[in-house]
Amino acid sequence: MSTMVQVVNLTTMPGPDKETDLTERIEAFLSDLKRGGSGTGPLRGSAETARETTALLRRITAQARWSSAGDLMEIIRKEGRRITAAQPSETTVGNMIRRVLKIVREEYARSRGSSEETDQQESLHKLLTSGGLSEENFRQHFATLKANVIEAINELLTELEGTTDNIAMQALEHIHSNEVIMTIGRSRTVEAFLKDAARKRKFHVIVAECAPFCQGHEMATSLSKAGIETTVIADAAIFAVMSRVNKVIIGTQTVLANGGLRAVNGTHTLALAAKHHSTPLIVCAPMFKLSPQFPNEEDTFHKFVSPHEVLPFTEGEILSKVNVHCPVFDYVPPELITLFISNIGGHAPSYIYRLMSELYHPEDHEL
Amino acid sequence: MNEEELVEYFRAQMRKDPDMASAVAAIRTLLEFLKRDKGETILGLRESLTGATDCLTGVDSSVAVSSGGELFLRFISLTSLEHQDLSRCKKVMEERGELFLEKISMSRAKVAKLCHTFIKDGAKILTHSYSRVVLRVLEKAAAEKKRFSVYVTESQPDSAGRQMADALRKLNVPVTVVLDAAVGYVLEKVDLVIVGAEGVVESGGIINKIGTYQMAVCSKAHNKPFYVVAESFKFVRLYPLNQQDVPDKFKYKADTLKTVKNLSEEHPMIDYTPPSLITLLFTDLGVLTPSAVSDELIKLYL
Repeated sequence: MSTMVQVVNLTTMPGPDKETDLTERIEAFLSDLKRGGSGTGPLRGSAETARETTALLRRITAQARWSSAGDLMEIIRKEGRRITAAQPSETTVGNMIRRVLKIVREEYARSRGSSEETDQQESLHKLLTSGGLSEENFRQHFATLKANVIEAINELLTELEGTTDNIAMQALEHIHSNEVIMTIGRSRTVEAFLKDAARKRKFHVIVAECAPFCQGHEMATSLSKAGIETTVIADAAIFAVMSRVNKVIIGTQTVLANGGLRAVNGTHTLALAAKHHSTPLIVCAPMFKLSPQFPNEEDTFHKFVSPHEVLPFTEGEILSKVNVHCPVFDYVPPELITLFISNIGGHAPSYIYRLMSELYHPEDHEL
Repeated sequence: MNEEELVEYFRAQMRKDPDMASAVAAIRTLLEFLKRDKGETILGLRESLTGATDCLTGVDSSVAVSSGGELFLRFISLTSLEHQDLSRCKKVMEERGELFLEKISMSRAKVAKLCHTFIKDGAKILTHSYSRVVLRVLEKAAAEKKRFSVYVTESQPDSAGRQMADALRKLNVPVTVVLDAAVGYVLEKVDLVIVGAEGVVESGGIINKIGTYQMAVCSKAHNKPFYVVAESFKFVRLYPLNQQDVPDKFKYKADTLKTVKNLSEEHPMIDYTPPSLITLLFTDLGVLTPSAVSDELIKLYL
């Protein structure tokens, strides 16, 4: 579990200096992110990261100096750009920042008294009926804005706490007795999902080990401790075993804007095998994993880590003659996915655009 | 403003700026019609505008003109709901109309900004016929110093693809003109397909120059992404289920419709591409999946 290093400066002047305290916390978070990205388990701790980011943003709102919503959004955007640059593959950070920006916009609109129904997003309707080139510059000052925003961020935090449980609650609808479920690697969400179903149903789970980090082994141990019959298979056996599988349930690192996934390496193979056998592929992904990125954009899509997991340094002779890569993530196109289960219910991949428009404002897509 | 003046104004708009979309020219013409209209009631205004739109579709039968006209009519309805008094209403309409025209003149730039990031260095792009929006996107990508090459289909019967090739050569982009029949042959070399659209229908599919459907089917077979770039005023309230469902008035040129008796002997100028073959649509409202298009239309028309 990633822990946040808190730097406590004991030599501060009497009276806490909020600014330096804030900057120190941000720096600590940044260095933690950079360190955390060393590839020992990409699915590890996204929920943690989301919670920490939100808590940090709440602290920024409370402690930084700002007088209008526009200033606050600028501050959040600036810090947001720094934080996302520290670890671009950790998209939950960017997602939380965008959610908080949307919260600020909403609270501002509410304080101004304009109805929340007015779609802030571009639409044909808005093009036709708006009276002027609407430059909403968020400059008005409202005394209660700070309190409202902090309250809304607290609600967001409560939502984040409950995501895994909300997803697990839906397990009984999807898993039936005597079914064979396949999964890959280790996902906390899927683990909770399966354990919840195991309380009332008896079923069998096949876990693909997901080389080279073999997190599947830990998943299998954990599931069998909960009394579920588990089998571990090598990634190469996925296609061979698929004919006996009823459902495939996986987790993911990110859900992209077109409904595709950025998931652990090996998931695309699993998805293709499932499609070939017409086996439903269910993705358990909480809402904070939904990112407004599209898969074809130029910047860092792939993350590579040290290839010693694939070909250890002890194999000295071969090393000089061979290029070794160890990519961490895979892209799964939306056509291969049957259903997304999130904390707000089940959705088809074609519906993701709608969820995105509810969570984020289009101007925040690029921080 | 009578019929001839209307048609003349429309033609003049198209001549003045050959780069302007025909829907924009239609909306400009209708706005001018509105300004000169001497009607006393809103209902009368709507009727005369409907008549004017029909007249314009008689000149240029493309889907775009029809969608532009419908959009304008919708604009009138929405504005008239807010202001009951006609003279006040007209003033508001004229102001908003100018504003609307100003906004949509920026739409191509917005589309280009969204789309050019999907063109990677060294990409080979396939496109169909002559589309000003696609040209704009490729211009932006070239300006961003990306190296790419383009294959354009000749696009018979009017060889519009050659016009596209000339325009691209001026941008110093390596371009090859291929036969319409060679699309399947060339697709294995290509990385992505980008086409424009004359109209975007409710299901998220598009209506475009004949040959687009073929290209889409081949791209699907080769697993290449098929991107559509279109401005939002091209969204139209049609829901064709197959090629037959597209109304005849869009399929043939206006002159053909007037002169020829037996349409079954004419070649259609457009075809319909279903949404299942389209990967993404780039519009000035953002990057949309085909399922998001109907949402946009509902927001406007309901």
